[in-house]
Amino acid sequence: MTELYQALAQGLLIGATYGLLALGMGLVYGVSGVVNFSHGDFISLGMFMCLALYSAFAMDPYVSIIITVPLMIAIGALVYIFLIRPMVGHQFLMVVQLTLGLSLVLQNGILMVFGGEPARTPSFVESKLIILGDVVLRVPHIVAFVVSFALAIGLYIMLRSTDFGRSIRAVHQNAHAAALMGINVGRVQVLTFALGIGILALAAALLLPGTPIQPTQGLRYTVITLLVVVLGGMTNFVGIMLGGLIIGIAEAFGTIYLDGPIGLLLPYIIFVAIMLFLPKGLTWSSAR
Amino acid sequence: MLEIDNLVAGYGGVPVLRDINAKMAAGEIVGLLGANNAGKTTLINALSGMVKPISGRILFLGEDISKLTPQARVELGIVQVPEGRLVFPEMSIRENLLLGGINAHARKHRPQQMEKVIGLFPRLGERLTQSAGSLSGGEQQMLAIGRGLMAEAKLLMLDEPSLGLSPLFVQYIFEIIDKLHADGLTILLVEQNLNLTLRHAKRCYVLERGQVAVEGDAETVKNDPRTRSAYLGL
Repeated sequence: MTELYQALAQGLLIGATYGLLALGMGLVYGVSGVVNFSHGDFISLGMFMCLALYSAFAMDPYVSIIITVPLMIAIGALVYIFLIRPMVGHQFLMVVQLTLGLSLVLQNGILMVFGGEPARTPSFVESKLIILGDVVLRVPHIVAFVVSFALAIGLYIMLRSTDFGRSIRAVHQNAHAAALMGINVGRVQVLTFALGIGILALAAALLLPGTPIQPTQGLRYTVITLLVVVLGGMTNFVGIMLGGLIIGIAEAFGTIYLDGPIGLLLPYIIFVAIMLFLPKGLTWSSAR
Repeated sequence: MLEIDNLVAGYGGVPVLRDINAKMAAGEIVGLLGANNAGKTTLINALSGMVKPISGRILFLGEDISKLTPQARVELGIVQVPEGRLVFPEMSIRENLLLGGINAHARKHRPQQMEKVIGLFPRLGERLTQSAGSLSGGEQQMLAIGRGLMAEAKLLMLDEPSLGLSPLFVQYIFEIIDKLHADGLTILLVEQNLNLTLRHAKRCYVLERGQVAVEGDAETVKNDPRTRSAYLGL
């Protein structure tokens, strides 16, 4: 029983951050129709920026977001304007190819600068634990959970009740009509992409404490994010957060209950099973 | 108010409109007629800035606007109510109206403007939180017009406002158009429905294959044999 609670708690905590990663991807897909296959490598980039700031200034990852978030937002905007925008509206596969290429560039760029050895970035909360009965929770996971949910709620409120949020939804629902309202569709697309990358910088800092990082990990995060986004129905806010929790829990169950490779496969098995029965994802309530 | 000067425009460098010349005075209601594919929607999209001119000029209040972005034109008060209404289906009526007034110029007066729109369409006011996608076609047309008015339009361009509506709703929408005209709004009415347009517009332009085939007051256009041939494609 203890193991069950442990797996559930651990999965829920980490799943919230997976949900957050996927919200960024879902937003970008919603306004530009772009699926970013370098998503995970931007998370990597965020993590290695934190590592660099720790090496240089002994900065805690939670503090380095002051620098990494604005930097990643700027990188996101530039990548969209100079690389992705010229491709949007052409073949969908060309954009996929482009972001896959970008993924390799980021991965190898990180490899060149930081080398291939797994690295750790210490944080002051890294080894702190909270013990609830028999369940042991790591403080970084709790921080990640709380911050991810707070950000998700913040994003939701932003989408619902600000002009920028309504512009994002308008572009998603009908870009032509949005332009007729006087919304600068191109600007909304750039800002949404930049916002999505900025969220990744935050998520990187949340996932970092206690996790060894290496340049090739990006693809794993991309795949997890894709699973969550597809599970959540691409643009459904509530569905995506829920998808994050499901994948997080599946991963925790896999590592706690099953040995080796089968354990690592569990999230994918559960994903396939859900998609067999609910091909449109978990979209029972529309929260666009 | 509006002057179109030898306008050539189209998609991907291929002209759809050729040598369009037209004029509208402030407070006028002008009809733009023609069969399917005559270029009516292309023309108002050129006025909205959604289609780039290949050559020629568009003057609005004496200023050349042909190079301006769609946003800049909305801010000047050139507002299009698109064909098929194109309301944002997954947003409430209120959110649709707020989006109508999102341009930098209209944003400041949104609450007052919304009161006016609700005064004009009490039915919208009764169900502000209902999603636009669940409205009937006629209600969506009211919302699309209301959304256009939220932008503080000086020139309101209505693309096929009667399309797909029941006769009762068509009558209602045209009463609203007359009312807006009486309040001094300049209206460009794009319609396939010839007789309906001739009854409400004082002057009309008839497009045929991207060119102005007939122009003049409603009576002249009605009696011109070329109007009929433009419609039947003879």
